[in-house]
Amino acid sequence: MIVGKQKSLEEIWGMVKDYKKVLVFGCNTCVAICHEGGNKEAEILGALLRMKAKQENRDMEIETGGIERQCEHEYLDQAAEAVEAADVILSLACGAGVQFLGEKFPLKTVLPGLNTTFIGVVDAPGEFSERCQMCGECILHLTGGICPITRCSKSLMNGPCGGSNNGSCEINPDVPCAWQMIHERLEAQGRSHLIDIFIPPKNWITSRAGGPRKQKREDLAK
Amino acid sequence: MQHLKTLLIKVDIDPDRLEMYNLSAAMGPKWKEICIEFTERIKKLGPSPIWWADRDREIKE
Amino acid sequence: MSEYKSGSNLEKVLKSGHFAFTGECGPPVGADVEHLKEKAAYLKGRVDAVNVTDNQTAVARMSSWAASLILLQEGLEPNFQMVCRDRNRLAMQSDILGVYAHGIRNMLCLSGDHQRFGDHPEAKNVFDLDSMQLIYTVKTMRDEGKFLSGKDIKVSPKFFIGAACNPFAEPFALRVRRLAKKIAVGADFIQTQCIYNMEKFREFMKQVVDLGLHEKCYILAGITPMKSLGMARYMASKVPGMDVPDSLIQRLKGAGKGKVAEEGIRFALEQIEEMKEMNGVSGVHLMAIEWEHRVPEIAERAGMLPRPQVS
Repeated sequence: MIVGKQKSLEEIWGMVKDYKKVLVFGCNTCVAICHEGGNKEAEILGALLRMKAKQENRDMEIETGGIERQCEHEYLDQAAEAVEAADVILSLACGAGVQFLGEKFPLKTVLPGLNTTFIGVVDAPGEFSERCQMCGECILHLTGGICPITRCSKSLMNGPCGGSNNGSCEINPDVPCAWQMIHERLEAQGRSHLIDIFIPPKNWITSRAGGPRKQKREDLAK
Repeated sequence: MQHLKTLLIKVDIDPDRLEMYNLSAAMGPKWKEICIEFTERIKKLGPSPIWWADRDREIKE
Repeated sequence: MSEYKSGSNLEKVLKSGHFAFTGECGPPVGADVEHLKEKAAYLKGRVDAVNVTDNQTAVARMSSWAASLILLQEGLEPNFQMVCRDRNRLAMQSDILGVYAHGIRNMLCLSGDHQRFGDHPEAKNVFDLDSMQLIYTVKTMRDEGKFLSGKDIKVSPKFFIGAACNPFAEPFALRVRRLAKKIAVGADFIQTQCIYNMEKFREFMKQVVDLGLHEKCYILAGITPMKSLGMARYMASKVPGMDVPDSLIQRLKGAGKGKVAEEGIRFALEQIEEMKEMNGVSGVHLMAIEWEHRVPEIAERAGMLPRPQVS
């Protein structure tokens, strides 16, 4: 899922403090799973902002709300009333949701309450790590199910490099060496020969490097 | 609870102002103890920043 | 006599069966040409070719191509280096043509240290290609006369292609296989990471020779003399992929105050002697970074002088 981290309270306060009617709006899908931007988190943030407003003697009306997700029209439709009533909307969705909300209500100021970080998994409660770089041309079948573009710090496709150190990446002992992992996984599966195969230069057109991407399903599109 | 206390710190409110106690309806004496102890704690801490902010606003009006 | 791939001095020395001896020279952190020329002067005539690093340890310096040109003008043969961290395939192919046009004939293809190590950790890295794909690119440009796009190159660059190898990084089992892969993709010569654990290196070379890799590619053993006990300890603990046996640290310690550098050189000289006889090793790559003034002495004592002149 998409993982994000709430911006610091200082930064958020700096963005909203000069407005009168603020709506703190959550998204209950991905960012709720990482407990950073869900509807519950929106309520908590709203409460904190009210306390700050009181202490700084600012006459503000801070409302909270949220929908299932901010990246689909059918849910955004439900947000209309609350959004129209506010001077500014602090969206706790990922970057996609914040933008989509802004597109739906283009005359409203929509601010990001989260820093969207990565596509990842839940390793353990409260612990998330990155897994996919959305390169658009998946090679997981060549690397034993471990993505070198994402998990190798240098995105090597024919790794490891000379800095692989006791199973860790040279940049940080907490980052496992992706190619060590790939090697071990393939060895365990008896498919070690895959590592000897040269992966030629990658076609990055399908990635974000090729420009903002779009996708259409002709059979589903109206 | 820990988490809530860290949130309170972010808005300059002493985390000691918030506490959770677990007891049953039959634990009368314990309840009395907690009330006294907590009241003392709060008295020592004095009015919260929220109280001060409210008071300042009332004075202005 | 079959044709040379590049006609470089290094290639000629290796091909004629001489034991090669290469050095290293880091470009300046600035445009200080004089200091670079001073360092180069110590190496001239004492080594067959000189590595010119490319933003080593992700610290911004004068580019390898620029410093290589200066060395060329000073009468030395540079080993131009290119890392994959800072350039995409367009810039790479473009620079490859550029340096070739200026007379450079040796090129090392490396991944590059991650920018988080260096002085610009906020920079965006490139890694459009990895080091193996870069070797493949240079080989394609040289032998097929084509860009990666498939388009023909008018006057293609003929480089002697080098790569790096670290026999000591984990996983050890993969190191020889990775070397084999680099050779299959086009590496003509390899320089290893600096060696201190001779036992492990012997084991590595045995596997290399068993696979016949030394016949397809020239292998140069990396040697860096220890200057001080501090350096030895630092290398042992702080540098990823470096294997410094405790026995060496003890040996340096035992040399006594003020005598550690000499002991470090002695160890290096012993290593060089063994490398000359070791099956599969075609030469030594001496990395005496910021110690270039000691190279003439080391070259002399190692019996490397005079360097062969192969026409």
